[in-house]
Amino acid sequence: MTLLEFARGPAFQASVLILIAGVAWRLVAIILLRRRPQFAEPRHGLPARIGGGAATILSRFVPRRTFWPRIAVSVVLSATFHIGLAIIVFGGAPHILLIHQLTGLTWPSLPRGVISLVSGVTLACMIALLIRRLNHPVLRLLSTADDYLSWLLVFLPVLTGILLSGETIGGYATLLALHIISVELMMIWLPFGKLMHAGLVFAGRGLMGMNFSRKGAAT
Amino acid sequence: MQNADDKGNANDDETLGAMLSARGIGRRGLLKFAIAMASSLALPPGVAPLMAANLAKAKRRSVIWLSFQECTGCVETLLRSSSPTIDQVIFDFISLDYQEALMAAAGTAAEKTLHDAIAANKGEYLLAIDGSIPTKDSGVYSLTGGRSNLAMLKEIAADAKAILAIGTCAAFGGIPKAFPNPTGAVGVEDLVSGKPIVNIPGCPPVPEVLSGVLAYFISFGKLPDLDERKRPLAYFGATIHDQCYRRAFYDQGKFAHSFDDEGARQGWCLFELGCKGPTTHNACASLKWNNGTSFPIQSGHGCIGCSEPDFWDAGGFYTSLAGGSAAGWRNAGIAAAVGIAGGAATALAARNKSRPDPEDKP
Amino acid sequence: MNIAPTPPAGGAIHPSEEQVALAMRGFLADIGPASALALDSCIHCGRCAEACQFYVQTGDPRYTPIHKIAPFKQAYEREMGPFAFVYKLLGLTPKVSAGELMQWQELLYDSCNMCGRCSLICPMGIDIADLVEQARHGMYVAGMTPPDFLGVLAEKEKSTGSPFGMTTQQLQDALHDIGAKYDVVMHVDEAQAEIVPTISSIDLKTYPSSMAAIAKILNHMGASWSFRTDGFDADNVALTAGDRAGQRKITLGVVRAAVACGAKTLVMPECGHSFTEMRWEAANAYGKNLPFRIVQITELLAEGLANGQIRVNKAPQNATYHDACQLSRRGGASAAPRVILQSLGVDLHEMEDAGDANWCCGGGGGVALIKRAQPLRDKAFAIKKRQVEATGADKVFTSCSGCRQTLDHGGKATGWNKEVASLLELVADNLRD
Repeated sequence: MTLLEFARGPAFQASVLILIAGVAWRLVAIILLRRRPQFAEPRHGLPARIGGGAATILSRFVPRRTFWPRIAVSVVLSATFHIGLAIIVFGGAPHILLIHQLTGLTWPSLPRGVISLVSGVTLACMIALLIRRLNHPVLRLLSTADDYLSWLLVFLPVLTGILLSGETIGGYATLLALHIISVELMMIWLPFGKLMHAGLVFAGRGLMGMNFSRKGAAT
Repeated sequence: MQNADDKGNANDDETLGAMLSARGIGRRGLLKFAIAMASSLALPPGVAPLMAANLAKAKRRSVIWLSFQECTGCVETLLRSSSPTIDQVIFDFISLDYQEALMAAAGTAAEKTLHDAIAANKGEYLLAIDGSIPTKDSGVYSLTGGRSNLAMLKEIAADAKAILAIGTCAAFGGIPKAFPNPTGAVGVEDLVSGKPIVNIPGCPPVPEVLSGVLAYFISFGKLPDLDERKRPLAYFGATIHDQCYRRAFYDQGKFAHSFDDEGARQGWCLFELGCKGPTTHNACASLKWNNGTSFPIQSGHGCIGCSEPDFWDAGGFYTSLAGGSAAGWRNAGIAAAVGIAGGAATALAARNKSRPDPEDKP
Repeated sequence: MNIAPTPPAGGAIHPSEEQVALAMRGFLADIGPASALALDSCIHCGRCAEACQFYVQTGDPRYTPIHKIAPFKQAYEREMGPFAFVYKLLGLTPKVSAGELMQWQELLYDSCNMCGRCSLICPMGIDIADLVEQARHGMYVAGMTPPDFLGVLAEKEKSTGSPFGMTTQQLQDALHDIGAKYDVVMHVDEAQAEIVPTISSIDLKTYPSSMAAIAKILNHMGASWSFRTDGFDADNVALTAGDRAGQRKITLGVVRAAVACGAKTLVMPECGHSFTEMRWEAANAYGKNLPFRIVQITELLAEGLANGQIRVNKAPQNATYHDACQLSRRGGASAAPRVILQSLGVDLHEMEDAGDANWCCGGGGGVALIKRAQPLRDKAFAIKKRQVEATGADKVFTSCSGCRQTLDHGGKATGWNKEVASLLELVADNLRD
């Protein structure tokens, strides 16, 4: 079996299954813990609280004005990286094709040149973020192996994707296999580390929004 | 000049140049052939006169062709090879001493022919193989005259000068090797070591490739440069993708989404329809079939990667390279269930560590 | 989380093995789905540090809010997290050590006001302030609450019902004395009352005028009201100390007193934490919905001013307003104080980031009660000082006695010439019959 066949076959299946099992495990293990009942009279009714939860999910994408001066760089780098990644994943023709083959959904892709440009910007942002993490005193204190591993597992797909798209170094089959495997490694690690924030962010913001709306507190 | 016998075998002493002359193909014709071959082999043009000179002086090389677990498609394609003058001539440049589909003899007479050819050309004959070799159950799944192809290969390869594995079956195992490979089929290189082997894969291979390899061998007495899979670099160095005339559409992102849709009619790239061009090494995108008439992509069907090992098991002809084989909903459901069960067990074990009642001492 | 433990400065408490084990179990006591989600979500972005007055003013990364709860998270990961068995089995997360508890005492108590700015900035929606409060539960049962004064006051409150150990008799006398001194009719321990105001011990000690002010206003409203000495302690020092049992005891005392006299409204005084505790946790302690509503005094005043029950003369002056974190950002009561100020015709010069996003005075969350935390508190206060001065106002109103005291002390220490005043007293001083 060639590396590419392995990547597109058993590795793909295994990584998807591990992803599904891991995510389910992590979420259920949190949800089923013992809950405290709430008897205090809420300031707002349930519809308003649900609206508050949804609103908080959106509002936390842009921090409050009071915080901007101290976090502007972090926000811009992080936002650019995330948006860039989204553009690549959901706008790149081969990715849309993968989703189409798995689900039947499809939509128009973005031109290759646009994806190339965005990929370069995304890669640069990732490098900047890593340098920041290695130098900022707060980040040095907080960071664990998971932070660096997660960075690497996202960096490799972006890098191998760029190399594959350019077909400059190495053969197509090898580059494609490496790109697919790098994504699979990311999928396998996702449920167990900070990459899970892709899902938890909505749960956390939503829950905070609902709780704080219940109190009429600032979200 | 002595005439060739019924089989086209010339007198042993006759050179190719002399034989061709007898057919009305003079120096000029031979030179034209050499130029075409040199170009096809991606050799520098200056080499052509040397090739022509060597071909003129060469003696006919004995070729023993053994057909193992095959469909005979490789032989058929070579017979269909399209330059009636030149490629047919190639078969006059060699002495095809044994080939079961083409020879008149059968049964024990054929066996004797094989035995005699081997004895007469010991150490000098080219051994051409098409078809895979079954290895399971002592190779009982393909027998010729009661002998397994496995045993035949071992014995006959021993005295060959070089081996040509023709077609994907002989090179890499081909279709018989596809999962679950009930006969234990393998390619020649998995069974023979210590001999120069050329793989000429394809299902079937492009006929001009065989001509080129033979011409090179006869001219220079050695095999052309091979890649890491023992394929002639001249023909297998590039992928279909690299030489495809629809490459511009790939680069522009213009893809056919389904057969006979608007994009397909416009001749757009067939990547989405499963074309394996990017991962397939062969010469069909440039040489094409039937004397340069067409090739699958030009006819509107994606490349199926037939010159690559295990092409039959590479995840589906209509699944694009961007896709993989899905795990299936049933397996996904099982994975989710495992996750839910594990998470629930963890949470339940953890539950009695929390104490909602503050009076409850930890 | 890989800092070699160093002993904290001055008066180190060294927990025993047993206490460390209690700490672990105490940490776990609160963990439900919400806490677990919060503990599981941190992506180490570091933004919470940029919201915290202690990090911003010192540049010390140890004051990063999410870092303050590291031992709490460690306990969770090792014992109750989704993959706890792996962490434990492979030794990936060690047990919380005595050294860690010692080192984290300062981080969880001295350098956290539980003001919630960090919760507001967190992109993952983690309520870090709430996690600090929960983490303190583990510290308390291990005896790791700073004793001077927080721990001592909490113990006294638990054993006597008041942080200063006042008896019922002493309390009744004090209230009547206030009534006499300020010439206000006091209702104390009435059998029936529709409105029950509660008392902060800071007020009793330092700002007795505010007690008179409440009485004056309630009399002006013609309400049926009474202080209840069997349930009055709005301070709930136990909360900030991390004593869950004590916290509940105090809370239930107030609830039962209000229930006993058939109250319809429980009024929390000018105090931050007491409001959030009663408004959002009292019913849970009680185990069912409360038969009365709970309002903070500013909410009552705003209500009364709006519906005409409270009538005031204008008192024009230029001033600024300091929002108590627990009332505005955490409690949702930013609007009421502004209604009051407007009704009184005050020329309000708002500070930068006023309202929900305000900076803490530096004294909240029990920090004002930790003597050794003074230098840190002063650093946090420096932000407030700058903000107040930037408004050009002469006076700072506030509606929390804790903030009032911190602003007073901070002001004295730094020699500023601003007057710090209570919004409640402003209303009481300008009532119109």
